[in-house]
Amino acid sequence: MENRPLEYDYTVAKLFMFTTIVLGIVGMLVGVILAFQLAFPEVNLLLGEGLAEYTNFSRLRPLHTDAVIFGFTVSGIFATWYYIGQRVLKVSMAESPLLIALGKLQFWLYILTVAAVVVSLLAGVTTSKEYAEFEWPIDIAIVVIWVLWGINIFGLIGIRREKSLYISVWYYIATFLGVAMLYVFNNMSVPTYFASGGIGDWYHSVSMYAGTNDALVQWWYGHNAVAFGFTVPIVAMIYYFLPKESGQAVYSYKLSLLSFWGLMFVYLWAGGHHLLFSTVPDWMQTMGSVFSVVLILPSWGSAINMLLTMKGEWQQVASSPLIKFMILASTFYMFSTLEGPIQAIKSVNAIAHFTDWIVGHVHDGVLGWVVFMIMASLFHMAPRVFKREIYSKSMMNTQFWLQTLGVILYFTSMWIAGITQGMMWRAHDEFGNLAYSFIDTVTVLHPYYTIRAVGGLLYLIGFLMFAYNIYKTMTVGRRVEENELQTASPMAA
Amino acid sequence: MNKLVLWGILITAAMLVFTYMAVGGSKGGLNGDIINILAITGAVVIVLISVFVVVKYVRQMQTDTATGELADENWDGIGEYKNELPMGWAVLFLILNIWAIWYMLMGYPVNAYSQIGEYNEDTKAHNAKFEAKYASITGDDLVDMGESVFLAECKVCHGLTADGIDGKAANLNQRLEAKSVKHVVENGSNFLGYPAPMPDRNGLFNMNTGALITDAEIASVATYVANGMKGDGADIFSGTCAACHGADGKGMEMVAPNIATFDIATVKTILDHGKKGAIGVMPAFERLNEKQKEAVGAYISSISK
Amino acid sequence: MFHWLEKNPFFFAVAVFVTIAFAGLVEILPSFAQASSPTVGTKPYSTLELTGRHVYIKNSCNACHSQLVRPFKSETDRYGNYSLSGEYAYDRPFLWGSKRTGPDLHRVGNYRTTDWHENHMWNPSAVVPGSIMPAYRWMFVNEADVETAYAEQITIKNVFNVPYNKPIPMKDGSTATVTLEDSLEDAHAAALAEAKTIAADMKNQDVKDAIAAGKIPEIVALIAYMNRLK
Ligand code: HEC
Ligand code: HEC
Ligand code: HEC
Ligand code: HEM
Ligand code: HEM
Ligand SMILES: [Ca+2]
Ligand SMILES: [Ca+2]
Ligand SMILES: [Cu+2]
Repeated sequence: MENRPLEYDYTVAKLFMFTTIVLGIVGMLVGVILAFQLAFPEVNLLLGEGLAEYTNFSRLRPLHTDAVIFGFTVSGIFATWYYIGQRVLKVSMAESPLLIALGKLQFWLYILTVAAVVVSLLAGVTTSKEYAEFEWPIDIAIVVIWVLWGINIFGLIGIRREKSLYISVWYYIATFLGVAMLYVFNNMSVPTYFASGGIGDWYHSVSMYAGTNDALVQWWYGHNAVAFGFTVPIVAMIYYFLPKESGQAVYSYKLSLLSFWGLMFVYLWAGGHHLLFSTVPDWMQTMGSVFSVVLILPSWGSAINMLLTMKGEWQQVASSPLIKFMILASTFYMFSTLEGPIQAIKSVNAIAHFTDWIVGHVHDGVLGWVVFMIMASLFHMAPRVFKREIYSKSMMNTQFWLQTLGVILYFTSMWIAGITQGMMWRAHDEFGNLAYSFIDTVTVLHPYYTIRAVGGLLYLIGFLMFAYNIYKTMTVGRRVEENELQTASPMAA
Repeated sequence: MNKLVLWGILITAAMLVFTYMAVGGSKGGLNGDIINILAITGAVVIVLISVFVVVKYVRQMQTDTATGELADENWDGIGEYKNELPMGWAVLFLILNIWAIWYMLMGYPVNAYSQIGEYNEDTKAHNAKFEAKYASITGDDLVDMGESVFLAECKVCHGLTADGIDGKAANLNQRLEAKSVKHVVENGSNFLGYPAPMPDRNGLFNMNTGALITDAEIASVATYVANGMKGDGADIFSGTCAACHGADGKGMEMVAPNIATFDIATVKTILDHGKKGAIGVMPAFERLNEKQKEAVGAYISSISK
Repeated sequence: MFHWLEKNPFFFAVAVFVTIAFAGLVEILPSFAQASSPTVGTKPYSTLELTGRHVYIKNSCNACHSQLVRPFKSETDRYGNYSLSGEYAYDRPFLWGSKRTGPDLHRVGNYRTTDWHENHMWNPSAVVPGSIMPAYRWMFVNEADVETAYAEQITIKNVFNVPYNKPIPMKDGSTATVTLEDSLEDAHAAALAEAKTIAADMKNQDVKDAIAAGKIPEIVALIAYMNRLK
């Protein structure tokens, strides 16, 4: 034991890698369908008039957001934790059969929950709160899954050999705590079946909060769900995979430290930017705007730290598609964390809110940052987990450019669409009347919706190439030895 | 000059031109609206800062080398430098934090901003500007103004050409369809808000015969009204309806509406009270002001026969 | 200190939790106290209206429609008065939305009507050429779930003291009372009575037949809800 390197156990990591890929395909496929539905409404009938209830835009939209968030992204978080955790804590899961068993339990419960989510969303069972659509039975299942994950995190930490926690572990701990707190409070509700003595649907519930208060709790959650779902855990990934893949030491501990605590502190104060010009008190809105602007710095801190880690290593960026993914991801991260604060300024939000500019912001964040980073993580993990070389580097390169083009088409078209529509809503004509009826501001978007749909399709094709590449790596990639896996991932031309 | 910086400038310039064309060509346009200008400025700032910051770091990747003292620890082979914070970042972070605290504790309370206060001011300015203009809007201008109200508010029900979209709402190219006339005569009031509502057929006597109006007479007078007060049925009209609607059907103030043609007063009445008739329900329009109602009345009068 | 935290995971976790929990308290507590009192004229939902609200939620209309008129001249021109906090006192959940693919609906009851909704929900682009809203034809067939709405009414009355069966002040100085029926049968009968007045303005034969047979199609409940948005 002393002389041999640890044998890590990737059983659970592998299971979640699988759901990351499958749910990524499902979620993005539905996204592409949505995009085409907005450009060409006939697509609402894609499986015929009879099934339109289940295939129309409004039923599918929550399925998209929940599949990519709770399916794809959360799976990616689990998969990378079960990979990174062991390695930076210097402890193998094989040392604790209990943790492995709990991990598997977590996975199978997760699969059951995914099935329940798909069925219930298609059936229209939703509470309508964004990114918290599920009714209470599913909420409970999610809490259990989350607790199982928590046990695993702290269990593994409990038996660690490496005394001090690596940066990535900070971020995973924050993810665990943040999501737990937010999810529980936002989903507080009273099941009506029990409260009424057995009337109506057993799964229906009514929110504990009403009106403005409900909105406040929802966006305290919604904003920070982005923080602790799309930012914090993804930063955990890049802090591990970029230095590891490139063999470079992290640029600055101090920068890591300040960025982390800065992010923890500032993020929670910024949620008010989803409620600008609403009926929540002015001071709270202002606080949301102000702290959003402050938030640029702790967000950029991590991105800068990563870019500076690659100082002097341009040849690696140029030659390795895997590193390219990560570098582009951190630039998109910087981009969307500058864009967000600017959209949070009240006068800018007056135009941006309710329009496609926000959707553009969402997707330059998720497509450019979240998905790129998760794919890069899986690419790095695959050779180590399957002990095989990545099947095709040239396919990775093609995929990279295809998806980059896809993101650019997506967000530029949504910028133009959003700003154009925002301005048309405000316009008065020379008589002081509204210049446009609402439908005029819809039809004008058609070309941009079409461009977005095409961009999304390109992106999906890229993701399918990724899935194929991983599948081939798993099945026919050249077998590799441990010593080939120290830093840069082996890939076949 | 570095090739990269050149690329940065190029990309930014391209994005700016692109934005300019998109905005200039878009139907919203800047319009001198401060909010529009700030939004575009925001977009430009995002692009500018992003491109130049990325260029800066890419240059460092190309030309710098990694240096510094390594920390003792390492995790799965990952080391960590003890480098200082990047100066620019640290200073900005500090400044922004101070600014935020100052703003929340001093700037904002002293400024005493209220979004409703701002709304009230904007609305007052808007109204003042256009009320000054309203006096001079008459004749063809009034019809133009009315068309603009119609296209923004009414076309979702009455259609672009005001034909009522296949009977979904009233066809405004003509005053009344026979079926609408028949409906009100049989059932009474359309709820236009007159002091004494129109009676139904059980209250309508044909003075020529002295009896309640009959089915045949209703059909005949309905066609007469729908034809623009022409053809058969004139005698029934003068015997039954003229008392309230006038001999020419042009109505009497406070008594009954003009049913021969559209005029501004009729349209205004309908916009004030709505109408519940044979075709469906026409909603009242509280959010239009008097001038807008007058204008759309003028427009409808101008397009109808 | 930080280095110490990094070696002591428990305290690290506590530190993180305290940092992130603090902001929530500051933000949420103060306004919780004041945001929940209803404006004059705001009534709890009737059984049929609440049923319709569930139809709205079931079909995620909030994915495309907001219910929040912001205080801008252009919005009050288009939709009517800006929204007030107290108007949402009985909204569980709130339905402000975050995307306006279609127009705001917070006051749609003021300027759209039953028959218009009937035509529009059946085929939006036949009424509004160029509309990208899906058609919702199954709502003309599916039966609405009055039971669950009734269960919710009982729940919110008992748990949150929503004032059913109590006089509620109206803008004109009068009072109005929204009744919560004593039994499911009564609730269904009351909802059906309300549904009849709406169906009277509709033309779809299936809907009329269903109402005649004592059933309430989803579309009727939905329209009851939208007509009440004022
Ligand atoms: C007692 C007075 C009275 C008599 C008689 C009368 N009307 Fe009317 N009519 C009214 C009033 C008042 C209204 C407006 C009612 C309302 O609020 O809908 C009206 C409305 C109408 C309208 C609807 C206009 C619109 O835009 O909705 C039509 C059509 C009409 N009358 C036709 C007739 C015809 C045809 C007759 C004779 C057969 C007739 N009326 C007899 C008083 C009368
Ligand atoms: C929600 C749908 C809707 C909107 C919006 C609407 N209308 Fe109507 N309107 C109707 C319907 C339905 C009727 C027919 C009522 C009937 O006769 O049964 C009607 C009837 C009318 C009539 C009476 C026609 C007649 O011959 O008696 C006038 C005038 C009119 N509308 C003007 C307007 C104007 C002006 C606007 C916009 C400011 C407008 N409408 C907006 C639905 C609408
Ligand atoms: C794909 C997006 C989308 C969905 C989902 C959607 N709508 Fe719409 N809706 C629109 C658009 C776009 C318009 C404007 C064009 C039109 O009037 O059809 C609109 C208009 C409307 C209007 C007219 C409002 C006005 O002021 O003219 C109503 C009412 C409406 N929708 C209700 C609903 C209801 C109820 C649902 C859910 C059952 C729903 N919509 C789902 C996009 C959508
Ligand atoms: C500094 C960081 C950020 C700030 C200050 C910020 C700010 C904002 C603002 C102002 C909105 C629009 C609210 C509205 O008007 O509706 C928004 C929406 C959103 N942002 Fe960000 N953003 C940041 C980073 C990110 C990142 C990195 C992502 C994802 C990777 C992201 C995902 C989203 C999502 C999903 C929404 C949509 C929420 C909704 O459904 O309405 N944001 N953000
Ligand atoms: C192939 C790629 C994708 C396409 C074509 C796509 C398309 C869409 C469309 C059309 C919408 C609805 C926008 C609207 O209502 O106007 C949407 C919403 C959303 N998508 Fe995607 N999507 C894709 C991938 C993703 C991914 C990978 C994520 C997250 C990891 C994601 C997260 C979201 C979120 C959070 C929203 C809600 C935004 C909001 O409410 O503001 N999408 N997407
Ligand atoms: Ca829930
Ligand atoms: Ca949203
Ligand atoms: Cu946010």
